[in-house]
Amino acid sequence: MLKIFQRLWQVNWAEQWQYRANLIMYLLYWLVSPIIHLAVWTSIANANGSVSGLTANDFVTYYLLLLIVDQLTSNITIHIFAYKVQDGSLSGELVKPIHPMLTNTLVNTVAFKTIMLMGFVPVWILLAFIFRPDFSAVTLQGILLAIPAVILGFFVNFLLSGAVTSVAFWTTRVYSINEFYFAMFVLFSGQFVPLQLMPKTIQTIASYLPFQLQIYLPIQLIQNKLSPTEIMQSFLVGVIWLIVSVILFNRVWREGIKRYSAVGA
Amino acid sequence: MHTLKVLSSLLKINIQMSLAYRADTIINILLNLMWLGWELLSLSIIFNNTTTIGGWGLPELVALLGVFRLVNTMMIALIWPNTEKFNQSIRDGSMDYTILQPVNSMFLVTFSRITVWRVWDLMLAAVLIAVGINMSGDLITPLQILTFILLAISGVIVIYSLWIVLIALTFWFTKFDNNVTIMQALLDSGRYPVSVYPVWLRIIVTYIIPIAVATTIPLQALRGDLNLTNIITFAGIGIISLVVATRVWKSGLKRYSGASS
Repeated sequence: MLKIFQRLWQVNWAEQWQYRANLIMYLLYWLVSPIIHLAVWTSIANANGSVSGLTANDFVTYYLLLLIVDQLTSNITIHIFAYKVQDGSLSGELVKPIHPMLTNTLVNTVAFKTIMLMGFVPVWILLAFIFRPDFSAVTLQGILLAIPAVILGFFVNFLLSGAVTSVAFWTTRVYSINEFYFAMFVLFSGQFVPLQLMPKTIQTIASYLPFQLQIYLPIQLIQNKLSPTEIMQSFLVGVIWLIVSVILFNRVWREGIKRYSAVGA
Repeated sequence: MHTLKVLSSLLKINIQMSLAYRADTIINILLNLMWLGWELLSLSIIFNNTTTIGGWGLPELVALLGVFRLVNTMMIALIWPNTEKFNQSIRDGSMDYTILQPVNSMFLVTFSRITVWRVWDLMLAAVLIAVGINMSGDLITPLQILTFILLAISGVIVIYSLWIVLIALTFWFTKFDNNVTIMQALLDSGRYPVSVYPVWLRIIVTYIIPIAVATTIPLQALRGDLNLTNIITFAGIGIISLVVATRVWKSGLKRYSGASS
């Protein structure tokens, strides 16, 4: 098994490395929106002293940590898998005795993220130099707590994205469905603004949904902003969603693969 | 006259193409409404916590959202589809057939694909602008509205010209095929007035990839922030950029030698 993953890594790394110039553009794409939100909210906080108790520095640290956490927990499943169903190139992978999504797509996503991180680290240091965040709220304990949260967030999101992407077996409109899924993510993850500034109802709904595992929870953990009860609760919700997403992904995948009839076969 | 005829037949072809995907059109309109809801919610979250942002109030931000959506629609309905077709035609040499047509090649390359149902987006953008102007009450004079329209058109021309320069670079660097990604990446900055951004970002989105020229500047005209010199300058930039873009396009075209020859 280890050998299989090693070989998959070599192939996928080479594939992604080929497109490293495009990845720089992609990185830029990724960076701009958090930086804009950072600028908007720090300007509001500076003008009013603070926003619901959050100072300008709170926003700077929030969005700078968001850039890291988002890099780690996101995935590109829809872009590297859905087309294979549509053009029939999935057939070649299905004859191999390994799960296409849980091996090849997963390794490709990790290779993509590794290359992105190589470009991202210097940019992040530059941004930290520009915005001069005060990270005094960050502790080692917080970072250690955030690691399992990031891993949980990545896998829950990867499996749910896998389930959404598998809708490609039924319809070519899978990209529209994915857009809807992404809109949910933007609304409930804390991507636009720290969730505590959202309307109360949205906050309550968000605390039961998987999206905050990807952004809000790890950031709050790193900064030690949560009480032990809240931490327990969030991890409990996370583990429940992990179980749900494993079951959901398996069902959708199994039903979908039955419907698959290769294009051109 | 000739150009208009070509444009109308291009439109006809594009309408026919989009009619083949009616259900997708409806889904896309629904998704678009969802994003609009999200944008309005995010504005309401911002203005629950403050009365002004970068010196601008809610009515102005609503109007700015309309202008932003105007540019965004141009990006989605015109720039992306035509860029894709253009890059493909450079790679496989089908650009040959475009040049052979007795029509201005720059016009043909930039208008042959139009996602026509996005017209709906333009109407939505116009409504947002009208609502924004209406919300700010009788503070705005007809003259300000006129300069706003003038500078919005000028701003759109600047973006169009930048696009032409970016795709024309493909004549020199064939592998430069994510040419317009940088525009798309910075586009989101148009949602807010540039006055909230740090100086370096403000310089980038005003002078290098001038998204702000098509978003913040027209809105400033609407607010009456600009004097006559400013207005003439920004209207002039629109004309100059189009002239420069045409020059760049022509000299790029001279370098084109087909993909197989």
